[in-house]
Amino acid sequence: MIALQLAISGIATGSVYALIALGIVLIYKCSGVVNFAQGAYAMLGAYVTYALLKLGLPALLAVLVGMALMALAGMATERLILRRMLKAQIVSVMMVTLGLLIFFRAFCLAIWGPDQIAFPQVFPSGSIDFAGIFITYNYLAAFALATTLSVAFLLFYRHTSIGLMQRCAADNPRAALAIGIHVSNQVSIAWAASAALAGLGGALLATLGGLSLNISDIGLIAFPVIVVGGLESLAGALIAGFLLGMLEAFTEGMLSPAIEEFLRGFTTIQSVGALQQVIPYGLLVLMLLVRPQGIFGRAGTERV
Amino acid sequence: MSLSVRNLSIRFGGVAAVSEMDLDVGPGEIVGLIGPNGAGKTTFINCIAGVNKPDMGEASWKGKPILGLTPAALLRLGVARTFQSVVSLHDLTVLDVIKLGAAAHARHKGGFAAQFLGSDKARDQELCETLLAPLNLADVAYSQIQTLSYGQRKSVDLARALACEPELLYLDEPVAGLTLQEGLNMGAVIRSVRDRFGCSVVMVEHKMDVVMATCERITVMAHGSRIFEGTPAETQRDPEVRRVYLGDA
Repeated sequence: MIALQLAISGIATGSVYALIALGIVLIYKCSGVVNFAQGAYAMLGAYVTYALLKLGLPALLAVLVGMALMALAGMATERLILRRMLKAQIVSVMMVTLGLLIFFRAFCLAIWGPDQIAFPQVFPSGSIDFAGIFITYNYLAAFALATTLSVAFLLFYRHTSIGLMQRCAADNPRAALAIGIHVSNQVSIAWAASAALAGLGGALLATLGGLSLNISDIGLIAFPVIVVGGLESLAGALIAGFLLGMLEAFTEGMLSPAIEEFLRGFTTIQSVGALQQVIPYGLLVLMLLVRPQGIFGRAGTERV
Repeated sequence: MSLSVRNLSIRFGGVAAVSEMDLDVGPGEIVGLIGPNGAGKTTFINCIAGVNKPDMGEASWKGKPILGLTPAALLRLGVARTFQSVVSLHDLTVLDVIKLGAAAHARHKGGFAAQFLGSDKARDQELCETLLAPLNLADVAYSQIQTLSYGQRKSVDLARALACEPELLYLDEPVAGLTLQEGLNMGAVIRSVRDRFGCSVVMVEHKMDVVMATCERITVMAHGSRIFEGTPAETQRDPEVRRVYLGDA
């Protein structure tokens, strides 16, 4: 029973990881840049949504406006900063995204301060009782929203003209340019979509665990997700997100207590700490050793 | 006059790839651009298709200057092209590539909203019938580009350019690597495309049989500039053209 309970909370957080990781894959595919600032967009999205809620907007509207603002922020980043670096080396561009992460953290620190803020109630409180398993509305809503949006985005990418141009730009940017696709604009769209998805992901994380600068750490979880899923595969990011969410939940809820109990019996060690934060990276290292292209990736994708 | 190029020159280091080249193409006309290897034909097309920026010269399409425009901007003016070597796209199917052509030009009916919404089955069907069927590609509409033969890929590239509904079409060696029969078929397709869409065509090609059968006027290039212009029959008779192509005889 506890296993099922853990699986459900794991799936809920995992769906949010997937949402945020999607954005990293999207940008990587069409520009080759691994965006280290993705966590920062999640954090910024959470704070912006918080500010909108404080202004008195209804929850749904606040979330939607927050996503729109984040899309603008993503597009602005591409237009103002990254487009000027078109000829720069990819590694330099990635360093710039790392700088963006630091900048956005400082920005939020200056405005909202270092303390954890209680996020306003967005979804109804309480939980449903499903055959002895309790699922809070928060988790349910996070799961539903994140999954719906991820799937909607995948469908958009697969079936619309813009999605098609995105795929072409991702597949072969030079060819796309030659046949008359404005590749830079496609990269802009990728940044906008990526930041909007991350913004929603951040807001959902804030409804689950409160609002603080630490939400930007989600970017670090997202990297194991995309490495496991394959840097090039959107569907891979989705599935790996669920996988890692569940792995974390099980580690925290079952593995850690079991190990601690074992250790207490034989040693003076009382706690194994936040083992659930180590596990994703263990998986990342294992993955890079065994199958560097990820579960769904194609061989030959550059590893960074 | 529709397309008018004057004095176009480009150098790569010490090599004058194209020097003081002129070209005129009338509405609905098919002009063949021929010349020995290294004459600068593809470089010339690249210059007026937005790939290379020439050092000197002017080019206008329907009175608007076109030098220095990007391929995307040229598409909006109705100028599309095909390529000598076909680009490789891993994930996309034939139909995807055709739809890319249709999507890439912003004059597309329905505008921006239509690009966001709908993968329209009816529109797919229409593209299949109007573009893929005449090029014998209808059967492979849902195959990936990589799985096709070289000749089929050439056809896909042409269909992709046609999906842009061009008013001016550059074809860079559309039948190179095809058999003579395939080449003549392609020539017939190009003529029928012109008849249907009324577009002007500039066609770089080596296969003289196809050029003679397809083009209405021929411009001969050698060492980066125009040395002759005339009808196919005149071109075949001209001693200078024979000398350049065949050596002194």
